[in-house]
Amino acid sequence: MKLGVLYSGGKDSTLALMKAKLHHEIVCLISIISKNEESYMFHTPNIDVTLLQSQAMELPLIRAETKGEKEKELEDLKNAIIEAVKRYKIEGIVTGAVRSTYQASRVQRICHELGLWCFNPLWLKNQIELLYEIVEKGIQPIISGIFAEPLDKSYLGAAIDKTMIEKLTRIAESHHINPAGEGGEIETTVLDAPVFKKKIKITKQETTHEKFTGVFKIIDAELVKK
Amino acid sequence: MILIISTCADKLSELEFVRPIAMLFEEHIIQHYSQVKQADIKAAEKIIIAGTALKDFEYLKGEFGWLSNTDKPVLGICSGMQLIAQAYGIELEEFVAIGPGPIEIIAENKLASGKFNAYFLHTKTGAGGFKTLATTNGRPCMIKHAEKEIYGCIFHPEVMNEDIIMNFVRNEK
Repeated sequence: MKLGVLYSGGKDSTLALMKAKLHHEIVCLISIISKNEESYMFHTPNIDVTLLQSQAMELPLIRAETKGEKEKELEDLKNAIIEAVKRYKIEGIVTGAVRSTYQASRVQRICHELGLWCFNPLWLKNQIELLYEIVEKGIQPIISGIFAEPLDKSYLGAAIDKTMIEKLTRIAESHHINPAGEGGEIETTVLDAPVFKKKIKITKQETTHEKFTGVFKIIDAELVKK
Repeated sequence: MILIISTCADKLSELEFVRPIAMLFEEHIIQHYSQVKQADIKAAEKIIIAGTALKDFEYLKGEFGWLSNTDKPVLGICSGMQLIAQAYGIELEEFVAIGPGPIEIIAENKLASGKFNAYFLHTKTGAGGFKTLATTNGRPCMIKHAEKEIYGCIFHPEVMNEDIIMNFVRNEK
């Protein structure tokens, strides 16, 4: 089956893509660029990096902008998926949804309306196991956004490796946050993965931070040989 | 040992509809419906028939005749409930529900009580002839055979109501 992946450039959508690729042909990525920082559906700090990630995976990317108004952004997503059906003949969509019934049910509804399959290969996966699987599968994400106490500046730009997972697990227990960031506590950007033919090298970045909220913004980056 | 039956036509869907149930308790075996034999049914203590993707209807062509004469406790989730209904001659009707919705338990039972929200993901349902245990907006969404321990949930309890599955698994026959 030809599938398109709703791709944010983060760890979950990358792992979902890898899992789907074991069973089906991935023919394109779909990224939604939301102008609304409060969007429950799409907001992510380094969404522009998906341009480089798609080149690294040698997959075409459909980018669609949305103002991020609550239900209008779903129309924008639907139109982007329609574009993927027209251009790449996709028969289904893959998402990296783990726990959010808000996001999952909205994508399910769009797929139903368009007669497409919908696959959520990470659905209900244990959050700690998910983080370990990401590292064990060779996906290399960095933390590109923090949005919860007690996450401080030191986390911004840090790699998610086994030591970081242990740290996040401890914080999750003491502060009742979701260690994998499904509740929006952290955002990630993947710089390398086994499905990348080249890896991403950051050449210019900017960190903004206030209290327990911050963003590691990638200003410039390039693909380099692995 | 609990037998978890996959109704997924696509292996990738099993990560979404079968694995989350299997994660809840250790003593289980998973089999695809096309591989299930009478001996497997006989060997199982209880049986859970898991759901599948919204666009998947292959399971409706499967062999589930054993459901009408089994004396094993069965919990059918979504497509599993549709298969139970079909095995007992209940006609399925088209009815789309996607996302969280309210549930009200209207008949005392071993699996759930009170009012709660649950996750729906189906385009067909069927309940006539079975006892209605719960409704959503007035429609049956959880049913039970009049005498046997055969239950159907058209919603997905693995998403927001794991207790329903665990009560089925733990309850004595």
